Amino acid sequence: MADSRTSHLTRRTFLKGTGVATAAAVSPTVIVRAARAKSDTLKIGQWTHFVPAFDEWFDKKYCPEWGAKNGVKVVVDHISVNDLRARAAAEVSAKKGHDLFGFLDPPPAYENVVLPMNDVVTECEKKYGKLAGLAQHATFNPKTKKYFAVSDNWVPDPLHYRKDVWGEVGMKPDTWEHVREGSRKIKEKTGMPAGFGISQELDTNMMLRALLWSYGAQEQDESSTKVMINSKATVEAIKLMTAIYKESMTAEVFTWDPSSNNRFFVSGKGHVIQNAISAIRTMEKQNPEAAKKAGLALPAAGPAKRMASEHLLHCYVVWQFAENPETAKKFVVDLIGSYNDAFLASEFYNFPSFSKSVSDLKGKLAADKVNPEEYAILGDFEKYSAYPGYPGHTTAAMDEVFNTFVVPDMFARVAKGEQSAEDSAKQAEADMKRIFAKWNK
Amino acid sequence: MILPAVLYVLALVGFPFCLSIYLALSDAKIASSTYAFVGLDNIRSALESPTFVKALGNTLIFTVVSQALVLVLGKILATCLAKPFFGKSIFRFLILLPWVAPISLGTIGWKWMLDSLYSPVNWVLQALHIIGKDTWPMWFGERNLAMASVIAVHVWRLLPFATVIILAGLTSIPREVNEAAEVDGAGFWSRELHIVLPLLRPILTVAGLFGIIFAFTDMTVIYVLTRGGPAQATQVLASLAFFTGILGGDLAGGAAISLFLFPVLVVVAVVMLQIARRTEVT
Repeated sequence: MADSRTSHLTRRTFLKGTGVATAAAVSPTVIVRAARAKSDTLKIGQWTHFVPAFDEWFDKKYCPEWGAKNGVKVVVDHISVNDLRARAAAEVSAKKGHDLFGFLDPPPAYENVVLPMNDVVTECEKKYGKLAGLAQHATFNPKTKKYFAVSDNWVPDPLHYRKDVWGEVGMKPDTWEHVREGSRKIKEKTGMPAGFGISQELDTNMMLRALLWSYGAQEQDESSTKVMINSKATVEAIKLMTAIYKESMTAEVFTWDPSSNNRFFVSGKGHVIQNAISAIRTMEKQNPEAAKKAGLALPAAGPAKRMASEHLLHCYVVWQFAENPETAKKFVVDLIGSYNDAFLASEFYNFPSFSKSVSDLKGKLAADKVNPEEYAILGDFEKYSAYPGYPGHTTAAMDEVFNTFVVPDMFARVAKGEQSAEDSAKQAEADMKRIFAKWNK
Repeated sequence: MILPAVLYVLALVGFPFCLSIYLALSDAKIASSTYAFVGLDNIRSALESPTFVKALGNTLIFTVVSQALVLVLGKILATCLAKPFFGKSIFRFLILLPWVAPISLGTIGWKWMLDSLYSPVNWVLQALHIIGKDTWPMWFGERNLAMASVIAVHVWRLLPFATVIILAGLTSIPREVNEAAEVDGAGFWSRELHIVLPLLRPILTVAGLFGIIFAFTDMTVIYVLTRGGPAQATQVLASLAFFTGILGGDLAGGAAISLFLFPVLVVVAVVMLQIARRTEVT
């Protein structure tokens, strides 16, 4: 990997310089492009983190220090969760934008316009241990043998529940049947609703997939070519969520955006949600008394297994039109190498995608200053967590299924009483087959 | 003389339109560098989708209801503003605010006003005993309430525009016509129905035409408030095209969906312009 600090005149830079000079004489467009290639600014576009402390560390400490060390000015633009995809599409359309772009879910549809990250993954695996299975399946295309993105972190998606309220009904949300039964009892006893989104948004997309998998359902087969959503297991999972909605939730779950369930839980209105730990972290700061009564739990088990979805899988791409591609790749490698700090700055939100990039992860979780017992359970979360497209790979077709919210809609139609679970699963199958047909031509 | 106008139309209307037809007939994806011709496959695929059919119906409901409300309320408001009263200029300025404020900012404001957890609207309704203490409407969570909410916000946004246009029309009606009718004993409703509205028809047509185009092609209000939910109850063609083409990465599919807006808009424009020409005031 190139070191951007190199200042000696090498054969490469000499040839590049003379080439540019020749081209400049021919076309003014080339002058602009050559000037861009010499830019000493690294532009990064990524989300506004749900844990503000992480952005504070990233923007004010890590990036300036890394920039100073590498002789590069690092500019970070934060983009809201809901606008990331639209911004990426705009950059690709204009063939201009950031050198490094961070997605919150894998973007296989962009494979044709990004640089392969195989070299980055290889270097990181050599230095920082094996890439987590869920991150590998979500960012690697087995057909082209190309890593279209490299994941620096993924985010666990534990159940958050009010221990005091669940204690009153003598239960814990250990299985989905417990979630249903406990929520019904709590609603009857206290009037508090449960909070599982059935909306067109990211958190719902993740939570409902976890429910499907725990019932033994899957969207596609292992080869990522065959649609398998229409199954008995899917129907059972839909029926379970519909029952939870009818018995224990309100229509607000159809209105939610990615931050709504956080507010729902932090406000004390609800007693259970499935979310990244930003919810309980916010509660610790805004409502410390209530936070003492809040707990984290493993994903609820279904009849088939206990599974969760990664809440987010953060991954970087380098556009083919990036002005500083080598610097961008170096930044990612170095960032992954600094994951001890990143993990702490994110308050345990960002879990490392490379196994050894955080040392003694379980020890750090167990040493949390506020609530060590609760955070300790996150240490085993990787073995329960999967990714969109499981058990296959995250493909471009799956990307469209994910971002057009086929799964949340399948659940919403039944919860709203518009279709039977069987018909809704059939419609989801038809929707998915139509999408797969388009992408697999 | 008309060359700048022709260039403007070609660059900002003609080119994007031809591009969308080209994309709709291709297999274009968000990151493809080459496109293959696939005929009407994308159109067929859209028509087979229940979500598309639902979005088409929603688009018609959203457009017709919001425009009917905009025209009726705009006429009422313009009639009031045509009369002299204390603080009229401030009132006019306030009425224009929703139109001049950026649409996304105004809509985000309404998102919070109608929030499921902290809605001040619900709080006020409870305080005024209009709804019970245990009632908390989920404005974006129930099918009909969600559609009513997005229509209401859209009406809020377009009302100033329609009001200003109608107000201009009202002030252009010669005062003598109304005065003569008054002398002949015509009352308010009689004057409105037989004099004002017929004379206003061309201007109402223009307001309606613009309003329909704004409503039919707009996705900001729906994208910010409901993202098409609950269960696609407020999904419209413009937002579905965005979800499919931009977020889903299927550019050709998104372009095909957006093309369905075109024939409807052409028919509306032709019909309304013909009405306007027939009733032109000389």
